[in-house]
Amino acid sequence: MTREVFIAYVEREQEALRGFLLALCCGKKDDADDLAQDALVKAYLASAGYQDKGKFRSWLFKIAHNTFLNHKASCRTMNSIDEARTLIGGTPADASFAHQDLYLALRTLPPKERSAITLFYLSGYSIKEIAAITDTSEDAVKKQLSRGRDKLKERLKL
Amino acid sequence: MKKDKALEDLFLAQKPQFDDSDAFMASLTRRLDAVEYLKQYQEATIRRYKWAMVATFVIGIISGAVGITFLLAAPANVPLFTFHMHSVFLQWLSENSRMIVAIVLSLLMSFGLISIIANLQDIVRMKKRDSYSVATEYSL
Repeated sequence: MTREVFIAYVEREQEALRGFLLALCCGKKDDADDLAQDALVKAYLASAGYQDKGKFRSWLFKIAHNTFLNHKASCRTMNSIDEARTLIGGTPADASFAHQDLYLALRTLPPKERSAITLFYLSGYSIKEIAAITDTSEDAVKKQLSRGRDKLKERLKL
Repeated sequence: MKKDKALEDLFLAQKPQFDDSDAFMASLTRRLDAVEYLKQYQEATIRRYKWAMVATFVIGIISGAVGITFLLAAPANVPLFTFHMHSVFLQWLSENSRMIVAIVLSLLMSFGLISIIANLQDIVRMKKRDSYSVATEYSL
């Protein structure tokens, strides 16, 4: 894949990717955009091996998902401090954002459940596709979705 | 698995709109430029290293050729080296010293030749890839 083809694809998909990462980062736009940029650079470096089968978005989401998990793993300590701060103060991650409740509820989910829920409800992927993106079995995705949905509904009082 | 309607509506309602797509793409392009620069720098370093390897192996082959010439020029009935010890193995070594040295030199020269070819192939492949990426860059 040439650079201009890659950029053309990315221009088409960047909003979906940023939306996905914004949900994973619970509304922290700067973090989400940084992760999106990192994921896109990784995708660019791996684009020589990409075989175009019309699944560029899934491929991109897979890289973004792995980048997010790596990021979460690398700043686990920071996250727990962050979470504690949220619990004590109840301060929203981004006060200007309109849907803080959902983001705060998403924040209580483990990263894998959060990914599965976001891919299912926000990006509209099927369980099979989510399993491919997150490199897990369909049963595991179903469990993550079920658990995540219950936690979200309880938290959001739906 | 069926979607929970309330959750789905909530997610759809929060679908964000980005009004800074141009800035995001400009930032990405800058990052990709930096990545390209680093890749080219890294490839240039590898290419220099490979040229150094080729030069070393060429020197090795020339040295091997000089060694074989010396071997052929030396008198045939005098062994290249002798051991002043009584051992069947060492005696066998000194009797066949010319043959052993010739075989070792030939093996080293063959190894050198194969390495030169492999390194040159790598260099040509890297140059082709570079010229291809430059061509596509300028076709924008």
